[in-house]
Amino acid sequence: MRFVVIGGDAAGMSAASRARRSAPEMEITVLEQGEDVSYSA
Amino acid sequence: MPYNISDPRRAIDDLVVRQADVFRKKMDIALLTRHRATGIDRQGRKVVGEGPRGSFEISYDALLIATGATPVSPEQPGFDLPGVLTLKRLEDGRRIKSWLASRSVRAAVIVGMGYIGMEMAEALRALDIEVTMVKPRPGLLPWLAPDLAAAVQECLTHNAVAVRTQFQLEGINAQNDRLRVTAQGGETLAADLVLVATGVRPNSDLAAKAGLVLGPSRSIAIDGRTRTSDPAIRAAGDCADAFHVVTGQRAWIPLALRANRAGWAAADDVCGKPVDLQGVVGSAVFKVFDLAVARTGLTAAEAADAGFEPAEVTIHTSSRAHGHPGASTIHVHLVGDKKSGRLLGAQMVGREGVAQRINAAAVALHARMTVEHFGQTDLAYAPPFGPTWDPLLVAANQLIKAL
Repeated sequence: MRFVVIGGDAAGMSAASRARRSAPEMEITVLEQGEDVSYSA
Repeated sequence: MPYNISDPRRAIDDLVVRQADVFRKKMDIALLTRHRATGIDRQGRKVVGEGPRGSFEISYDALLIATGATPVSPEQPGFDLPGVLTLKRLEDGRRIKSWLASRSVRAAVIVGMGYIGMEMAEALRALDIEVTMVKPRPGLLPWLAPDLAAAVQECLTHNAVAVRTQFQLEGINAQNDRLRVTAQGGETLAADLVLVATGVRPNSDLAAKAGLVLGPSRSIAIDGRTRTSDPAIRAAGDCADAFHVVTGQRAWIPLALRANRAGWAAADDVCGKPVDLQGVVGSAVFKVFDLAVARTGLTAAEAADAGFEPAEVTIHTSSRAHGHPGASTIHVHLVGDKKSGRLLGAQMVGREGVAQRINAAAVALHARMTVEHFGQTDLAYAPPFGPTWDPLLVAANQLIKAL
C-alpha cells in the first residue's frame, strides 16, 4: 500500500504521522514544495 | 507567527513543531521537500511534478491533497516590490523578520483588516513601528456586531494604530528607499514595510485540473471521510471544504484545528478505520492588544442568507462578579432563529474571559440547542471568573425575549 500526500503542512503531516502510527508497514511519501514542514501558526 | 516576529531574540524556526528529519528518520516517512506536484493522472494513479533533480513521477494507491491556501494579493501595481510582504508560510515570517532586522523600519502599512492584520498591527507596534491599517471597503470588521467592532476600534486608537477604511488603493511604488502606498485621489502613505493581509484562497488548481469537484470559494469538495469526487483521492486542510453544522451547507472556513482533524480523518480512512468527520461551526478567536475577539456560528446577515429568520441581541456586562476587583467589560452578541428558536451564533469582545467562554456557545451550536435550552445550562461561577449569571446566559435571557 502506497500513500502519497501532497503538502507538508498541518493537514498533510497530521495525516502522514497518523497513518504511520496505524500502519507500520505502509509506504508513506509526502511531497512538499517548500523547505519547511509542520509549523504552528 | 506575529508573536514570534515581535520578538527579535526569538528565531522563527522555534515555530517548527517537528523538524523534517524527525519525520524521515524516526517515523520512516519519505518526506521530499522542494518537490512540487504539477499534475495528477487519475487513471494511472500517478502524481507528476518537478523536484531538485528534474521532473518526477510517483504512483499511489491512496492520494491525499493537502495543498493548503495562499494569500491573495490585490491586483494593483507594486505588490511585488521588495518590502511588500505577506504572512502565511514560515518562509514569509522569515522574510518579514529579516526585513525588520536589515533596516530601520519606522512606519508600516497593513493592507487588510482580518485577524492576521490585527495580530501584525500589535506585533509591529511592540517594535515601536508606526502602523496604519487600510482597506477599500467600509467597516473595520464588518462581520462583527457594531458595539463589538467599536470596542476593537477604540483599542486600536488607544494603541496608536491608524485605521483607514474606504481607502481606495491605487498602487505602491518605491521612492528614495521608501515605499509609497497611494490611494485614488492622490493621498500617499509612506512606509518602510507593507504587509498584505487581504485573505487567502484555496490551492485547488491541481485538483481542478484533475477534474475533481470543487465546493464553495473553489475549495475541494469532500465528504465525511475526506474523499473527493474520486474515492482514491482525499483532500484535507485549508484546500478543502467542510460541512457547516448550523447551515447544513458546504462551507470554506480554513482554520488550524479543522486542518489537523481532517488530516487524521484522511489517514484513518486510508487505513481502513471507520471515519465520520463532523462539520464545523466557524469558531475563531484572535487577540488585538489587550482585547480578545471571538466568534462562533453565524452572523445575523449570514443567518438570513442561509434562510433563517434571525433575531440578535448585544449585551455589555462585567467579566467578574459585582464588586470584584480587576473586572473589565465583556461584550456579548448572540443570534437566534425566530422560527425554530435555535441558537445560531455568538460573538464576544473583552479583555478577559472571552477566548474560552466562546467554546460554550460553540458546543451549543454543535448540539443544535435552542436559545431557551442554552439559557438553562449550568455554567460554572466564582467571583474572579464572572458574574453569577454568566455573560452568555445574560445574553441568552435577552435573546429569548427577542425571539
